[in-house]
Amino acid sequence: MPSGAVRLKREPAILLSPGLLFLLLAFFFPAVQLLAQSFLTFGAGPSHFTLEHYAKVIVDDFYAGVALRTFRLALIITALCLLMGFPLAVVINRAGPVLRTALIVLLILPLMTSVVIRTFGWLVILGPGGVLSWTLQQLGLIDRSISLMHTEAGIVIAMVQVLLPFLVLTTLGSLGQIPAALEEASRVMGAGFFRSIYHVTLPLSVPGLASGSLLVFALSISSFITPSLVGGVRLQVMAGSIYQQMTGSFDWGFGAALSVILLVITLMLIIPYMVVTSRAGGRA
Amino acid sequence: MIGSTPRWVLAATVLFLAAVALFMLVPLLVVMASSLSSSAFLVFPPPGLSLRWYGEILGSEAYLNAGWTSLKLALATVVFALALGTPAAIALSRFRFRGRAMIASVFLSPLILPSLIFAIGLLIVFSRYAAGPSFAGLVIGHTVITMPYVIRTVSANLADIDPHLDEAARIMGARWWQRYLLVILPQCRTGMAAGAFFAFNISFDDAVIALFMRAPNVETLPMRIYSTLEFSPDPSVAAVSTIMIAMTLVLVVLLNRVFGLSRIA
Repeated sequence: MPSGAVRLKREPAILLSPGLLFLLLAFFFPAVQLLAQSFLTFGAGPSHFTLEHYAKVIVDDFYAGVALRTFRLALIITALCLLMGFPLAVVINRAGPVLRTALIVLLILPLMTSVVIRTFGWLVILGPGGVLSWTLQQLGLIDRSISLMHTEAGIVIAMVQVLLPFLVLTTLGSLGQIPAALEEASRVMGAGFFRSIYHVTLPLSVPGLASGSLLVFALSISSFITPSLVGGVRLQVMAGSIYQQMTGSFDWGFGAALSVILLVITLMLIIPYMVVTSRAGGRA
Repeated sequence: MIGSTPRWVLAATVLFLAAVALFMLVPLLVVMASSLSSSAFLVFPPPGLSLRWYGEILGSEAYLNAGWTSLKLALATVVFALALGTPAAIALSRFRFRGRAMIASVFLSPLILPSLIFAIGLLIVFSRYAAGPSFAGLVIGHTVITMPYVIRTVSANLADIDPHLDEAARIMGARWWQRYLLVILPQCRTGMAAGAFFAFNISFDDAVIALFMRAPNVETLPMRIYSTLEFSPDPSVAAVSTIMIAMTLVLVVLLNRVFGLSRIA
C-alpha cells in the first residue's frame, strides 16, 4: 500500500502543524518582540538600537535595590518551602490512600484557586485589625493591633502559601521512585526513624527537592500580584516594577529590559531544573 | 517487625499536618467567612452574619459583566486549547518521527516561561501589529498557556490505551476520518475532559495576562478583584471570590472523578 504509507508519514505533520504554527505566532514571536523592544529607543520618532535601558537598570540605585530585594525574598521563600515541603512530601508518600488524596486536595485546591483570591485572603489575615492580629490579641500575646501589611514578612508568608504546592508535588514525584524496601532495609538493620530519613530518604529525594526549589525560586522572582498587593508600592519587587513600567509609566523599553534580565535569570535556573528532572526521569 | 515509628513522632506528624492544613486553607476560609459579614468593612471578627453582599453582586452590573466576560473567555480558551492541543498530543504519543522529543519540548515550553514575560511580549505584539489589546488577544494568550495542559493530559490518557486498536482499524480498511472519529478521538475522551477542566480553571483564574492585556471595555473577574483590592476592598469582593472558590472545588472534584488527582501529582 504505497499511498497508505505516504499518508502515514504525512499524518504527524498534519496533526502537529496547526499547533506549531499557532505557537510560532502567538508565543515565540512575542518573545522575540520583547527582546527587540529592550534594545530599541521608545517614544516619538523612528526607533533605533540602544543600550540605554540596560544601562539604566545597572546605574540606577533604586532598581539595584529592587533586584536585591527580589532575590533575597525569593531565597527566603524557597528555603521555607523546602523546610515545610520536604516533611509534607514524605508524609504524603507514606500515607494510606484516603489521607493521601485528602492531602493532595489540600495542596491542589489552593493551587487551582486564583492567586488574586488567595492574596485577598492574606490581606484580610495580615492587615490591621485582621485575623492574625485578633487571634494574637485573644491569646494575650500582644496588647495592640498589629499589621504585617507592607512588610517583607507579610510577602514571605503569603508567597510560601502560594508556592508550597509546587515544591511538594515535584518532590513527591522523586519520592515515589524510591523503593519502599530501601527504607525498610535501613530500619531492619537498626537505623532509627530519623537516621533512616536522613541517610536514605533525603539523599534519594535530592533531584526532586532541587528541581522543586528551582521552580519555586523562578516562580517567586516573576510574581507580582501577591508582592504588589501585600507589599505595596514601597516594597517593590522586580516583577512589580515591570508591571508599573508597562502599564503605568509607559516606559516600555525599560520594562522590556527588566523583563529580559528576569528571563535570563529564570532560564539560568530552569535549564538545570530540566536537566535534573529529565535525568531523574521525574515529571517536570 | 521493624521497630515502629516512635509514638511522639506520630503525634508530631499529626500536629504538623494540622498546621499545614490550617496554613494552606486559612486564606480561603477567611475569604468565605468575610463574604457573610454584615459590616461594610472587612473587620475580624465580623459583627454579624448576612447574605447582603451576595445580593449586592448579583445586582451589580460591573460584576455581572465581568463574570460573563470571564465565562466567555474561559469557554473560548477551552475550545481552542482542545482543538490545537489534542491533535498535537495524538501525533506526539502515537507516531515515531525524527525530532519528536524536540517538538514535544517546544509544545511544553509555555509552561516554563513565566507568564509575566509572555504577557509583556503579547502586549507589545498586540500594540504594534493590532489595534491594541482586545478580547481576542486574551483568548490567544490563554490558549498558549493552557495548550500544554491539554497535551499532557491527552498524552497521559493515550499512554494507557492499546495503540493496536488504531492499527487494527487501519488494517481493516478504515478511512482516516473513520479512524479519528470512531477510534482515536473516543480514546482521548478522558484526557480531553481533564485538559478542558484545567484550561477552564486557568483561564477563569488568570490575572497576570489579563492585567497586562487590559483592553477598554474588557474586564474579567480576576481583573476586577485585583483593582478592587488595590483601592477599597469590601465584602462584595469576598462574595465573588467565594463563588469562584466553589467553582474551583467543583472542578477539582470532577477532575478527580474523570482523571484521578494522583495522576496530576
